[in-house]
Amino acid sequence: MAPTTKDNRTGFARIKRRLVGKPIANSEDAHQRLSKRVGLPIFASDAISSTAYATEEIIIVFVGAAAIGAAAFDNLVPIALMVVVLLAIVINSYRQTIFAYPHGGGTYIVSKENLGKYPSLVAGASMLVDYILTVAVAITSGTAAVIAAFSDLAPYRVQICVALVLLITFANLRGVRESAFLFAPPMYLYVFSILALIFYGLFRVYFQDLGPIDHSGAVATELLANNETLTLFFLLKAFSSGAVALTGIEALSGGVPAFRKPESKNAATTLVLLGCILGTLFLGLSILAQHLEPIRDEEGLIAQTIIAQLAEHVYGGRNFFFFATQFTTFGILLIAANTGYADFPRLASIMARDGYLPRQLANRGDRLVFSNGVIFLGLAAIGLVIAFGGITNALIPLYAVGVFTAFTLSQVGMIVRLSKMREPTWKIRVVFTSVGAFTTGGVALTVVTVKFSDGAWIPAVIVPLLILIFSSIRRHYTRVRQFLTVDDAYKAPFRTHTVVVLVGSINAGVIQAVKYAESLRPDRLLGLSIVGSDDEGAALTAEWRRHFPNLELESPVDDYRNLTEKVLTEIDRLDDEQSDDIVTVVIPEFVTSLRSQWLHNQSALAIKARLLFRPNTVVTSIPIVIP
Amino acid sequence: MGIRNYLSRGSQTKDELVSERLCAKFGELHMVTLADMPMRRRVDVCGEIRRMSVKPRAGIPAVEVEISDGTGEITVIFSGRERIPGIGHNRGLTVSGVAHWEGKRRVMLNPIYRLLPSPGQ
Repeated sequence: MAPTTKDNRTGFARIKRRLVGKPIANSEDAHQRLSKRVGLPIFASDAISSTAYATEEIIIVFVGAAAIGAAAFDNLVPIALMVVVLLAIVINSYRQTIFAYPHGGGTYIVSKENLGKYPSLVAGASMLVDYILTVAVAITSGTAAVIAAFSDLAPYRVQICVALVLLITFANLRGVRESAFLFAPPMYLYVFSILALIFYGLFRVYFQDLGPIDHSGAVATELLANNETLTLFFLLKAFSSGAVALTGIEALSGGVPAFRKPESKNAATTLVLLGCILGTLFLGLSILAQHLEPIRDEEGLIAQTIIAQLAEHVYGGRNFFFFATQFTTFGILLIAANTGYADFPRLASIMARDGYLPRQLANRGDRLVFSNGVIFLGLAAIGLVIAFGGITNALIPLYAVGVFTAFTLSQVGMIVRLSKMREPTWKIRVVFTSVGAFTTGGVALTVVTVKFSDGAWIPAVIVPLLILIFSSIRRHYTRVRQFLTVDDAYKAPFRTHTVVVLVGSINAGVIQAVKYAESLRPDRLLGLSIVGSDDEGAALTAEWRRHFPNLELESPVDDYRNLTEKVLTEIDRLDDEQSDDIVTVVIPEFVTSLRSQWLHNQSALAIKARLLFRPNTVVTSIPIVIP
Repeated sequence: MGIRNYLSRGSQTKDELVSERLCAKFGELHMVTLADMPMRRRVDVCGEIRRMSVKPRAGIPAVEVEISDGTGEITVIFSGRERIPGIGHNRGLTVSGVAHWEGKRRVMLNPIYRLLPSPGQ
């Protein structure tokens, strides 16, 4: 027998090979260190991609919910400046984390080590939810960028999103190495094209007197005509929407070991670089938007994204530069979605190893990726995209809560650590980190409060629910471990062994099964046959006597042809006869080709399913191979 | 009859349906029911064969059957016989002998038996 070659012959295995690729051995897990230039696109694409929708989110709040009309554009840049200040604070405190945890300090690990069980679970739950949202938000925004360029595709928004998620899921099952080859060009192209848009746009505004975009659509005109006064509530709401620009920063703190030596220093420099790029792009886009006044509504009635409107206006129509901007936006968003696929399975595997998630999530698949995590993430993201109809900004409030909860926990963890370690200059660092923790905590609270009805309540429900699930999974694993631990004096209890062979009729399969059952040397061996009629019973009994003159056969009558039920009551009856017994049920099963397998063993399948949870019962299938 | 009867019939288990059928069949013989049967005294009971067991003990054959009249069961063993014509699944019979407990089962050894006609014979 050669099980591996046999495995490759079956249809499923072949399809899987085609889709996923050939398996990679454990030893091939090459670990390549990254330079700053390569590390930046890998870890920063998620964070930088959020500039594709952060400005837009602020505008949507202003012109939509707040209904302040054209006054929105006067308030845009102040809000953007506040977000940039927040960004600087967060970047600064994550630098501390990078130096403190050169082996990678994701939020979960930092909270686990410094704050204890429940904060770490809150962090874990928030991050897991966030990674799912990262994928969903990035994909929906990427699709929005495509639709902005080709508005004919608008009716297929959800389908495009789902197709893209599937594509990325399969790519990750193959194990997309976080290679510079794949990641670097889209990110640098995006940064370049947005910078070009900003600078050329501002140049045209200041030196060629480029005026605001002329909105002709009914929706836009209506939105601009509003002139409510801006309340503090909507100001905070706009700020918390803009704060999504910060999402993705935390990825770097978990990936420190991936950098070349000195790891911490390189990672910290990359982080600062990331902050600068992110800040520049976000602020630049906001300033440009202030001058050009692009507009978007909540339900996506205006198909054009803010970036698309800016590009069309700045470049004077839908020319090469416009499409280039849209495609690079799409590119970086795809890559941003992909970072979710790197982070979610990794965090899930760490939590699974701690016993908070099912063990399966810690298993690596054929291609050395945490396949189960990847599949779960893909399905969850598809579910979200469909549930929210592929509209990005409906997902954003969900996103922001988790991100800022995680930021806050990570920083509080750092404060605890810094005051414990008392390294030189710890006081000033505690001050910096505290400012960060307070600000991000404030933002988290603000988001929950002002966007509660917009969907921020969902994480407020899901995170505690997840923590309950984590705890009960852990409790279960602990209980199982306690039950199974043994000391040196442990002896397995004695069991009377009864073996039952299920007999449909006397055939080669049954005879093989009886032979096998005899080899088990049980205390009692009997055949069990459920009989429908007198003639059938008599024939079977006679034949059994001829083949096995020394073996017992029980043949109860069944009037109602319910084989499974009857077999179960018979096994109960046998089990009752002894108090310490173990019953083995031997079922002969026919193994034929995949094509005709369904013609056999239907009742065997039903019996096996019912016996699965019966205590003290072993079910054995004897494969009768029919070539 | 009536709707309640109909409904209760629908919720009966298959075991209950079987005992109901057997009670109806053997009730008209007016014999001691298996549920009220005295032990260790000669008694006449009747029932239908619900189970046959082949149990060779050291090469000596025995026909072992379980009969039920809908109120209870008793195991009847005919030792020294490989098979007995007329004794098979679903057949009705009356037996006359002494019953004793063997573990959780009531057992009657080598009783006098009389086959009852099967429907259609």
